[in-house]
Amino acid sequence: QQDPMQSPAYYPRPTGEEAAAARAPLPPAHPGNCDARFMRPTVNAVPNQQAMRARFQLPTGLIVHPMADPQDLPVIGLDAGGIVRCRRCRTYINPFVTWTDSGRRFQCNVCGMFTDVPMDYFCALDQNGQRHDIAQHPELTQGSVEYLAPQEYMVRPPMPPRFFFVIDVSTQAVQSGSLPVVCQAIKDSLDSLPGSSRTQIGFLTFDSSLHFYNLKSSLSQPQMLVVAEIEEPFLPLPDDLVVNLHESRAVVEALLDSLPQMFASNMVVESAMGPALQAAFLAMQDFGGKMLLFQSAVPSLGLGKIKNRDNAALWGTDSEHKLRNPDDPFYKKFAAECSRVQIAVDVFVLGAASGQGMPAVYMDLASLATLPKYTCGQLYSLPAFSAKRDGPKLAHDVRHNLSRPTAWEAVMRIRCSKGLRISSFHGHFFIRSSDLLALPQVDPDKAFAVQIQHDESVVTGPVAYVQCALLYTSSNGERRIRRAISHLTQVHTMAMPVVTEVQDLFRAVDGGATLTLLAKLAMEKACTSKLDDTRNAIQTKLVLALREYRLLHAAASRGTTLPHNKLIFPPTLRYLPVWILGLLKTPALRGSMRDVATDERAAFCFDISSAGVDQLLTWVYPSLYPVHDPSGDWGKPDAQGRITRPLPSPMTMEAVDSSGAYLLDSGRIFVLWLGANGLTLKLLTLQVFEVDASRGQPDGFSLQVEPPRQSDLSRRICALLNDLRAHRSNYAGCFVVRQGTQPEAHVLPWFVEDRTQISQSYQEFAAMLQKSVMAKS
Amino acid sequence: MADFVALEEQDGLRLSWNIWPNSRIEATKAVIPFASLYTPNKRKADLQVCPYDPVLCKTCGAVLNGYAQVDFNAALWGCPFCHTRNHFPSQYRGISEQQQPAELYQEYNTIEYIQQQAKPVMPPAYVFVVDTSVAEDELRACVASLSQALTTLPEYAQVGLVTFGTHVHVHELGFAECAKSYVFQGSREYTPQQVVEQLGLASKMPARKGGPGQPALPMPSSPGSRFILPISECEFTVNAVLDELQRDVFPTLSEHRPSRCTGTALQVAASLMGAALQPGMCAARLMLFVGGPSTEGAGKVVEKELSEPIRSHEDLAKDRAPHYKKARRFFDGVASQLVQQQHSLDVFACALDQVGLAEMKPVVDMSGGMVVQTDTFLNPVFKESFKRVFVAPGDPGSLNIASNATFEVIPSRGVKIAGLLGPAAAMDKKSSSIADTHVGIGGTNQWRLAGLDASTTLCTFYEITPQSKEAAGQDPHTSQQFYIQFITRYLHADGSHRIRATTFTRRWTDGSNLGELMAGFDQEAAAVVVARLATFKMETEEDFDATRWIDRTLIRLASRFGDYRPNDPASFTLNENMAFYPQFMFNLRRSQFVQVFGNSPDETANCRLSLNKETAQEATVMIQPSLFSYRAAGACAQVLLDVTSIAPDRILLLDSYFYVVVFHGSSIAQWRKDGFHLNPDHAHFKELLEAPKRDASSILQRRFPVPRLVDCDQNGSQARFLLARLNPSSTYQSQQSMSAEVIMTDDVSLSVFTEHLTKLATQS
Ligand SMILES: [Zn+2]
Ligand SMILES: [Zn+2]
Repeated sequence: QQDPMQSPAYYPRPTGEEAAAARAPLPPAHPGNCDARFMRPTVNAVPNQQAMRARFQLPTGLIVHPMADPQDLPVIGLDAGGIVRCRRCRTYINPFVTWTDSGRRFQCNVCGMFTDVPMDYFCALDQNGQRHDIAQHPELTQGSVEYLAPQEYMVRPPMPPRFFFVIDVSTQAVQSGSLPVVCQAIKDSLDSLPGSSRTQIGFLTFDSSLHFYNLKSSLSQPQMLVVAEIEEPFLPLPDDLVVNLHESRAVVEALLDSLPQMFASNMVVESAMGPALQAAFLAMQDFGGKMLLFQSAVPSLGLGKIKNRDNAALWGTDSEHKLRNPDDPFYKKFAAECSRVQIAVDVFVLGAASGQGMPAVYMDLASLATLPKYTCGQLYSLPAFSAKRDGPKLAHDVRHNLSRPTAWEAVMRIRCSKGLRISSFHGHFFIRSSDLLALPQVDPDKAFAVQIQHDESVVTGPVAYVQCALLYTSSNGERRIRRAISHLTQVHTMAMPVVTEVQDLFRAVDGGATLTLLAKLAMEKACTSKLDDTRNAIQTKLVLALREYRLLHAAASRGTTLPHNKLIFPPTLRYLPVWILGLLKTPALRGSMRDVATDERAAFCFDISSAGVDQLLTWVYPSLYPVHDPSGDWGKPDAQGRITRPLPSPMTMEAVDSSGAYLLDSGRIFVLWLGANGLTLKLLTLQVFEVDASRGQPDGFSLQVEPPRQSDLSRRICALLNDLRAHRSNYAGCFVVRQGTQPEAHVLPWFVEDRTQISQSYQEFAAMLQKSVMAKS
Repeated sequence: MADFVALEEQDGLRLSWNIWPNSRIEATKAVIPFASLYTPNKRKADLQVCPYDPVLCKTCGAVLNGYAQVDFNAALWGCPFCHTRNHFPSQYRGISEQQQPAELYQEYNTIEYIQQQAKPVMPPAYVFVVDTSVAEDELRACVASLSQALTTLPEYAQVGLVTFGTHVHVHELGFAECAKSYVFQGSREYTPQQVVEQLGLASKMPARKGGPGQPALPMPSSPGSRFILPISECEFTVNAVLDELQRDVFPTLSEHRPSRCTGTALQVAASLMGAALQPGMCAARLMLFVGGPSTEGAGKVVEKELSEPIRSHEDLAKDRAPHYKKARRFFDGVASQLVQQQHSLDVFACALDQVGLAEMKPVVDMSGGMVVQTDTFLNPVFKESFKRVFVAPGDPGSLNIASNATFEVIPSRGVKIAGLLGPAAAMDKKSSSIADTHVGIGGTNQWRLAGLDASTTLCTFYEITPQSKEAAGQDPHTSQQFYIQFITRYLHADGSHRIRATTFTRRWTDGSNLGELMAGFDQEAAAVVVARLATFKMETEEDFDATRWIDRTLIRLASRFGDYRPNDPASFTLNENMAFYPQFMFNLRRSQFVQVFGNSPDETANCRLSLNKETAQEATVMIQPSLFSYRAAGACAQVLLDVTSIAPDRILLLDSYFYVVVFHGSSIAQWRKDGFHLNPDHAHFKELLEAPKRDASSILQRRFPVPRLVDCDQNGSQARFLLARLNPSSTYQSQQSMSAEVIMTDDVSLSVFTEHLTKLATQS
């Protein structure tokens, strides 16, 4: 058994055989708990005292992912006796309540209050104090259930799913080729939009003026209505701007078919994005829904126009954080208004390159991101968009966005046991009242994090509970609910032991969830601090935790002196250092102004804020799959039909074989890395690309991994790619990079263990941590 | 009197007085203004058209004419207006006593020139501005007429389409991918600049490219060609838009009028035309099709709430029309814009309600537009009139529409220009021949007519100034005669720029020679001049009492020119040249021009627009309708406009210009009811029934807008259209059982009126 911190070769890494287990959640603390997919605690225990929690140093809380896998939830109909809740704290009945008075009352596990069981819900108890009918009531045995909500839960009748597309058609959109891609992707998605026959749809295009479309079903073709009054946009029609898709399908398709042609010769470079948003708001405000903005030009007219404020001089000053916050109050105000009327805004930023082969123009994503940020929307950034390179990704992202299961008009509330409280929320939402998150829409791609603090200094009792409830309107068309669009309530409940010793916390800590929470906290800190301070703050937390653990360990090992130069950490946190190193190397946090474009940083920051644990772990420590060795079963389906993956290699160039080929999965793109060894290269080029390399080396950009070719290797690589993509929300294209060529520079930052000009190697980082832990505080 | 009509036929000219007193004092004593009624675009079969440019006097700009004193040897001509001696241009070198150009013959007092080096022109442009806040069948009827018009227009004609209701939609007919329109808020007021910017017409667009292998089109297309373009290029699009044109989709609350932003629509359309069409480059008409009152934006006539009635004359008189003045100011702005652009506004108002024509009137008037007013787009009055607009010049029924005209008056010494009444707008041109006191649109001797047709008639007022002795001494010729020349420069429908000059001369007389003055008095022309002036004063002078003014004018005239012994009414007689004048005034007093309270302000506006535009003959009919009688055995005969003309066995045909009434006496009606006309034995009765109808339809065919035809029987409810215009010689007060009909009115009869007149005129 090698000592993990003895030599870099034995450092803990989430790779090889350990890869899957490293990312997995801890086993549940209680069999009745909800699945960690929905709610994953950073520590599978609750400290009984605030003081002890403080000694632990790391933040504690939950990663909440309500729509993670809604298909798996048991649904409780309206005929099952109704929704039973604690009469004081409104906790939903769950497996942890206790029954008294022969089943006529139950005691709330969260607040301890006794509540009478409603007549329709009553059932006698058996000798174990459990209800006889427990088998018929999933809410009494399962940690996650979903209720059909009765009338009184509704503020208004369920709204049909409504999609409103706001598309920039300025000359930039035409020249980058984004417009045809967007139109085709929307058209391809029409059949998979949720809501079946009730789905509503509308379009607004804009350049320097706004173009509405009358899509009334009786028309033979759409009618375009131009409003050039961008100071004070108004609706040219009272209705027919948002129509029933089913009825107006032909007109909608005609529009999508002709839009690219209509603007093919558009020479307008100005972009009235703010006015377009205002106009879309007017069209949607009565019913809410989803607004999808496709922005190609720099917004230049009307409210919210973008100033070039990407000022390098601010870097390192107290104003540095302003680069990462919106400048114009319009954005936050508008987003808050959208949230109020149940509009979610998704923003696709398809900015042009600032010149041939040049970086993308500054689009001020820090401002644009504000729109999805407060409306539980999504930000897509495809900088220097070119249809040839980015078209497939854009098309996929649009299709995925439109077809994923979506909850509408949602509100989320998390309750926890007496003595505890949710102290902060992280993610993309608007806080309506102190603990109610307004989510105009929420889907499987949105995760949230919360921190749990002690409300009172001591938590009594052996078990603490957390319950998350999401009230929302479903789109119908989800096969398990054969009803029209309806209101649903999703309830997830979790029990955790209350512990009295810090060791217990270190024993129960979940490294992946902790990294996720830390990352989200860092994103918020970056909005108020210098990036340098943000990075230091994360490191400091880690150092303090490790120091605390070292002290505990020293105490436990009584007398045996711990080696001075040896990093001691609990097995539960064995990957946390390298994950944190990876987090510091993401575009959100690494380097300074010249290393990462402000927009790229903003986009990454946005994604981290709403990412779930799995997604984030891939970003901080990508997977590097060797794909040159034909032995083994990788790339082939196993008995269950799942594609076997090769064991990932460490993310360091030292472990890479220059006569091999690797598929790098960064979580955002795939790279097929080809070793420089001539023989391998020739063979692979022929097999994977069916290109004869003896006629000279083709450059990486001209090579396409897909579609699969005849060779076994090609088909296995493609199968692996598809399998990896199947578990993603964002589409990742696959690029080819040859070792030693210029494009390799783009790939190197993903090798998180390696030293770069602006960052430490894993070894340096470990040494630095050790030094800090040992330093006198 | 026949002389005057003959003169009108020849030169399109009538004068209230044909012999003028040679002193200012005597002129003021003449009571009736010295004025001319001139029809500059009158259709003349024998018109002399010269394919060359006119020769102009280098000093006053007058066109060489038959009154010039020509010295063939010196190749000089003396201008009769300013006495400048001008050299003939080089191309006139060959002229001699024997070989004179046409303009030197006095038979060609009216002559037309085709300008040789004129700017090339664009095809005529029509911008249809269509109200969509109307019932579905109204909209479809309107659209049907438009579609029909598009098929009759030559395919090079340019069209544009603007629709309006709550908002204004400017349709981009040059956009082929789908129906596309620019939307303007009905409730907002836009400056022309804002409209132009919003339509994207502010910056120059790249010129239209030719197809592969073709050269670029010779005519550089203006940016506006996205909106106003030849039918050949937008036929499919415009028809598709019209086919799918929806009613205004904004909901109308109950007890409310629909939202309709007529003013904003006009403003937007006018600005579009201003940007898309270069002034003077083509004939351009803004054609408004409106089906109800304007309730939105600038130019609003009434609020949407039905509880607020549309303003009446009483409201206007008592200052109870809250929107009127504001709307008038707004439309004055639109009017000046259109005049500036040289575009005309035509209004097709088809509604039971008033649409706000009274407010829009200055726009039509100043731009030389047309108005057709009726109850519904389904009415033949609209359908037939609208068709007439597009009849090609030269074809039967053509209105002979011309455009982009300026009208200039050049008088000789002793005459100054006081002003003009007619569908025109003043131009900022100064001349020494402009009088200090203005009548009508004064202060200039040049006016602009964006549009004019064959009947457009301009009434020019003159001031007689004492002649300078020197001038009289120098040139005995001008001491006896005065000269006036009208120069009309216009764009002919065939695309040629033309100049029509009419030169005439009349005699001065000693002002005290009343007999001579009376010999030159044209009582019809005088009545029309007075009628135009009276209505102008009613509109422009506060508290103007038209009846009183007409009466006093008439009394002064009678007292000056009548033959009587003071204080002896019975001795009073009038020269035959003036004898019918009191009757014209009697009828004018009772007409809708003066007695406005029985009509809506919109109807009044429409009538006044016609009076201000039509020829002397037509205007005379408006003032005093013609009444014809058809009797079983006899032919048609003109009869007195008197209730006594009604007889059971007569058919009467009343032509009051705005409507034509065929009135069947009670016996005739009965016979027809009995079906006599179906019996071959009574063919003459059938013929009797048909004769007035034939005559009525010939009136309908020649007149624009097409008058309303009322076919009625004695004692029928429609008979009121006839009775209202007849002299009530027999009323319930007069108790004369002789008459066939008794008119229920408190109006005085002609004889009572004349009685009062002679009494007052003879008072010393
Ligand atoms: Zn409770
Ligand atoms: Zn002269």
